[in-house]
Amino acid sequence: MNEIEQTGLATMRDCWITGGTTFDLAPAAWKEIAGSAGPDERERRLLAIAAQALEIALRPAAPKTLKRRPPLPELALPMLPERLRPLLRATLKHASDTRGKTRVVTLVASRGFVLHPMDWMPAASDQNGPDVYAPWIDWQSGVDGEKHTSQEHLTAENWDDFYPASRRTALADMRRTAPASARQLIETKGPGEPAEVRLALIELMRFGLGADDVPFLQSLSADRSGKVRELAGRLLARLGEHGQPGDGGPEDPTAELAAFIAEGKSGFIRRRTTYAPAKLKSPAQERRRAELFETCNLVDLAARFGVTESDFIGAWQFGADNNADILVARMVAASGSDAAVTHMADTLVAEGGKPALFVLHLMPRLDSRRKRVLVRLILKDTQYLGALNLAEGLEASWLEWADLTNGQALPALRSAVAGNDDAVRRGVDQLLETMGFLATAATAEKLIGDVVAAGMAPAAPSLGLLRLNASLAGP
Amino acid sequence: MEFDLKTIEALAPDQASLSAASKLTKQSNWPRLEKNEQLALIWGECQGSGSNPYRVVVDTGDHGYKCTCPSRKFPCKHTLALMWIAATTPAGFAAAGSTPEWVNDWLGRRRKTTSQPVEPTQGAGGKSIGEVLRDESADIEDAAAVERREAAQRKRAEDTRSSVSAALDELDQWIADQLRLGLAGFVDNSSDRCRRIAARLVDMKATALAGRIDEIPSRLMGLRSEERPDAAIRELGKLVLLAKAWRSAPDDPELRRLVSTSEGREQVLANPDATQVESVWEVLGEKIESRRDGLVSHSTWLLDLNSATSQFALLLDYFPASAGRRSNAFTPGDRFDARLVFYPARQPLRALVADRKGDVPSGDWPDFSLGASDTLAAHVARQDAAPWVTDCPVMLPPGAILLDDRGAAWWQAAGDPHGIALPIADTVNPTLLGLDLKATAALWNGSRLELLAAQSGFGRLDLS
Repeated sequence: MNEIEQTGLATMRDCWITGGTTFDLAPAAWKEIAGSAGPDERERRLLAIAAQALEIALRPAAPKTLKRRPPLPELALPMLPERLRPLLRATLKHASDTRGKTRVVTLVASRGFVLHPMDWMPAASDQNGPDVYAPWIDWQSGVDGEKHTSQEHLTAENWDDFYPASRRTALADMRRTAPASARQLIETKGPGEPAEVRLALIELMRFGLGADDVPFLQSLSADRSGKVRELAGRLLARLGEHGQPGDGGPEDPTAELAAFIAEGKSGFIRRRTTYAPAKLKSPAQERRRAELFETCNLVDLAARFGVTESDFIGAWQFGADNNADILVARMVAASGSDAAVTHMADTLVAEGGKPALFVLHLMPRLDSRRKRVLVRLILKDTQYLGALNLAEGLEASWLEWADLTNGQALPALRSAVAGNDDAVRRGVDQLLETMGFLATAATAEKLIGDVVAAGMAPAAPSLGLLRLNASLAGP
Repeated sequence: MEFDLKTIEALAPDQASLSAASKLTKQSNWPRLEKNEQLALIWGECQGSGSNPYRVVVDTGDHGYKCTCPSRKFPCKHTLALMWIAATTPAGFAAAGSTPEWVNDWLGRRRKTTSQPVEPTQGAGGKSIGEVLRDESADIEDAAAVERREAAQRKRAEDTRSSVSAALDELDQWIADQLRLGLAGFVDNSSDRCRRIAARLVDMKATALAGRIDEIPSRLMGLRSEERPDAAIRELGKLVLLAKAWRSAPDDPELRRLVSTSEGREQVLANPDATQVESVWEVLGEKIESRRDGLVSHSTWLLDLNSATSQFALLLDYFPASAGRRSNAFTPGDRFDARLVFYPARQPLRALVADRKGDVPSGDWPDFSLGASDTLAAHVARQDAAPWVTDCPVMLPPGAILLDDRGAAWWQAAGDPHGIALPIADTVNPTLLGLDLKATAALWNGSRLELLAAQSGFGRLDLS
């Protein structure tokens, strides 16, 4: 289209927008085509020519502001084989929430694969997914510019060259191998970061936490952020360091909490001290007690009664008040020393039965051996199989067939599958999904066969994760 | 549990369904029949009257079923036919190790009931397979009846032609009125104005053209306000061209299809002039759109993998929206060896699957030697041959998706930041912004790009 035609087209277009005849405005060549007909037909012919001119002679004008995102980085693991993607997508679709989807992703990563980015992408705020996805999390957080997600060693000098998720992963690794270097980095670079980032950095101190960290954590009592101060206090408490001493008066939260706990004695021959929740008079008191358990540290509470953390836990009367038991378990998980946590876990697991379930609250603090012991205990006992779905921080892909056959778990599953109770079946569905995450490929394969033989529909969606697990067995 | 004919009899909603199902039990109707005994599932694809096959899956354990056809009978004739084949010739089902994604989709959505599978009952409510088999004696039509039927057909065609001619006269006048009154007003009131003329065109048997005009408002509203007048000029100008072309060749099958009605599947298959292409086809993507005339259009775009240049095919079906949501007939990325018969046209695009031979493993697209010429050259060529066409499939060279400052997405060729960029119709998956696209299949409608699929460093991307 030449310049005259372009100008003519623009004028005709303006005329048609407001309404009217455009014949006199048309380029000469166009007039020639349209000329011999009546006025309406002339307009239609010109319209047809203009339409084609717009369709093929003009191209959309590209805005100058077009922005390109940095390329999505490749991850350190290979992509899940194409043939397994339909099964994976079905499993992801069936996973009802983020936690369920994270399990699927974690299982796949544990077998050495990552997902296709169009099947699943971690959210920018994701902190629960496998570390291998850190470059994608950083890409998701949408930082523009030319920073690189480097795999090199993190130092104070190249701190800014790392995106936040990669930095977090690198720091967590450093805390496990060289905790002092990681602490020094956090100490040096932390004050320059906003409160939210500082909090995430201090949170990493839980890896490899030791007595050497005490001075730094104590220095955080002057931090501008209340959340950072609170977290530092809890980490100190885990190291047996007491918080700010209270005056023991009515304003002292530890003293107030202690008032909710009744000290007693038991045993005829060897009298020993017991601690049990005091009877509450109102829901308001219950709320207040919950708040206090959340803000107070175990070490301070135990000191209030003049005993060690382990003695306090040993003397606590589990089973008297379920809510209070949960609060104690949460407090131990948040602020108990490693020794107190393992003591509580070992004591309750050895005791078995319902109290062992309180150990679920300690899961994030337990080593993998203890986590597995608890899972095996729950499976063996079978009375509280549903509790398995609540367990956090479990590792994928370790549960063996013997763990299922060593107790009543399988017969219980089979009878639930064969039954007609919808509520029980829903519980079974959830349990099978958890098993799909925990089981080894061989266990998954056997379990599918077992529950199908018991009457479960072979194509049931709740078997999806188990099927994916089994198909990830090998090449 | 295996099927027997008594069970099928009991499941059938009526005798007519059984009769219809019996006609579909020939294996030639089923390009795909598979089973997974471990999962107690059988499934298949039945080539019905539409372009897209119907997908049927049956749980042989509890007799649960799903078919993608729009029938309101449950189970439909396709489901009954699949069960029938399972009962009579179970060897016709190929054993499949894994279930296709559409079967997984159904399994994922399905709510298992605790009810027991239907057991055959005495009498089965007056339905009888034996009766169907007896009724299958040949329907012989006498010669006089054939003559009468053909004469009536000719008369109807003549009536339709004169009625459509009058309809196009009205359309011409309507277009002239829009230009006189101003396109600003037309854009603002396009919904009412298009509805009125579309209703007139339906009355005068220009049904296909009416459906197209009914969709103009939604196409205009999909654009920014400053783009709408140009789009209105394009839409109305194409109508003028189409009307003129029809007047000069009212019997032209392509023009008749676009103005009044489309020929049936059997007519296309029987047409010796229809182009036939035997090749390996990849399903690029699907578009399922509800239209204002109460129909749902279901388009499946295919790519010819054996062609040196990018060649496409479109499987197009319409069904009433009242039939409810239909599952997709194909899964994007599927590849199959098939003979396609194209509806006669200047640039054949719409096609039917005449003979499907089997699935082909997935892989990269062939190198279509993209990049040297104009990105929209295929579109221009198609417009030269058939200027009334709106959507044109294109294969774009290496490029990427970028965002403008309003957050709208554009496709731009790689290595040419000042070169052509094409705006994308919908919002895109943000992940796409970080991927280099080696080749992208899309539909270009003159102002927006609708992405179908792409090849990237991360493999094939389904974008439809």
